[in-house]
Amino acid sequence: MLDAGNISKPGLIHRVFSCLAGALLIGLAQHSLADDAPAFMLQGFGTLGAVRTTSNEVEFVRDLSQPRGASQNWDARVDSILGLQANWRISPQLEAVVQAVSRYRYDRTFTPELSWAYLKYEPSPNLSLRAGRLGTEFFMMADSRLVGYSFLTVRPPGDFFWSLPFYNIDGADAALTVPVGDHLLRGKLFYGISHGQIALAQKQWNIDGSEMAGGYVDYQAGAWLFRASYANLRFKHDLPIEDVLQSYLPQPFAAQAIEHLGTGNTRSHYYSLGAIYDSGPWQLQLMLNHCDQGSNAFESSDAGYVLAGYRIGSVTPFLGYSWASSETRGNTLNPVVAMIMADAHVDQKTSIVGARWDLLRNIALKAQWDGIRGEPTSIFPYRQETAGWSGKMDVFSLTMDFVF
Amino acid sequence: MFVGIVLLLATAEVWAELVVVVNARSGVAAMSRNEVINIFFGRNRQFFNGIEAQPVDLVDSHPDRGRFYSALVGKDLADINAYWSRQVFSGRLQSPPKMRTSEEALKWIVSQPGGIGFIELAKADARVRVVYELQP
Repeated sequence: MLDAGNISKPGLIHRVFSCLAGALLIGLAQHSLADDAPAFMLQGFGTLGAVRTTSNEVEFVRDLSQPRGASQNWDARVDSILGLQANWRISPQLEAVVQAVSRYRYDRTFTPELSWAYLKYEPSPNLSLRAGRLGTEFFMMADSRLVGYSFLTVRPPGDFFWSLPFYNIDGADAALTVPVGDHLLRGKLFYGISHGQIALAQKQWNIDGSEMAGGYVDYQAGAWLFRASYANLRFKHDLPIEDVLQSYLPQPFAAQAIEHLGTGNTRSHYYSLGAIYDSGPWQLQLMLNHCDQGSNAFESSDAGYVLAGYRIGSVTPFLGYSWASSETRGNTLNPVVAMIMADAHVDQKTSIVGARWDLLRNIALKAQWDGIRGEPTSIFPYRQETAGWSGKMDVFSLTMDFVF
Repeated sequence: MFVGIVLLLATAEVWAELVVVVNARSGVAAMSRNEVINIFFGRNRQFFNGIEAQPVDLVDSHPDRGRFYSALVGKDLADINAYWSRQVFSGRLQSPPKMRTSEEALKWIVSQPGGIGFIELAKADARVRVVYELQP
């Protein structure tokens, strides 16, 4: 089930862009084109984080691409991230961008990965076409989840983003902005193939080759931004559970279970609505999503969050509330299958209280408390859950976010 | 004479007010507050007449930058920089170029067909047109 050795088509694109990136970095020095902005820019972002919880019955992760997480001891792996980005403006309408990110990932290392590597062509100023490796914007702000400096909370609310462990696709997108009076209407469409691995117990689930397509419509009216988005994902592979099923179930039942829990060729639908108010000292956000999972291995879910921040000098305290719940499926066939299916269940609410301190230019410190109150059956967002899990715990987080 | 000094001081304050100016040959006349915001935040990259907008900013250490965003959207520079980090690292936009002085900014506005920037009223000359006055 572990596909680490194969060079699939997305892997080839990966290598081509890695070479491009290398050429950009070696060959070019920063220089100006007359009085214009520099043609080549190197920028970066990062977070140093520490998190602990009040429970040793589960491990808390930032998202499901992480195999292990935090419990009662302070853990610096979960939120620590470093990203580096090179932008090369080839002509006024053509730009090449490469971004690599190092974070705690499915194989328990901080191996850097290519997160973005694309060519952008702008035939007109309000129309943008990109092709290559692109971040996915299934939900609002989903494509900048790793840039701590860009948002208020320590991490994007987990309850809202648990169902979205994928970050990018190899494909293309198109975005158009149309002024409507002094408001703006913006739309985007994307299509691509995902790649990557999602940690599952001791194994990895290969999501290479899964097709994704989607789009959204935004309406910016002064300080308000509204968005409606839809995305669709067709999984290519099954979960790596075949040998577990074969070893725990006698033959006819094992084959039946493998088919029942198959994810290959199933389709999932993601719907989302969002509203943001951003003016003066206020920042308000409301997001809702609904995921329709096409396989028995996952449960369809509803989630959302509200967040309010109010700036006082260089400190912005914030309050938030998030929730996620999934629908248990009826037919579990037998106890082994039932146990695997129970792994996909989430049912919890989280209260969030914290503050962001803009200490120095381009550096922010954050402290946050998350009060997770859920059912003991809510185990989907966690790792290493034990039978003693009560569904309730507190999470304490401290981060330093920076850009350069 | 006392009244004269008060009037003089009041006028001096007016000349120090920030205004948004565009290249006088861009064909842009007056803009609304939302239109100015959409241009400076890179959301709209074109003026109504199709000319590409080329906004110019100042470095953080220049006092006019903080005054501008405070008057325009009531936001701290940290929030503005956080906004741009989201745009830059999700591959959407680069922030407008940042000049160290108002004179450099003026030079930029005049050299780009769609140049737009902000400056103290006293420093605006005939090569630019005032399209919006910031309410303090």
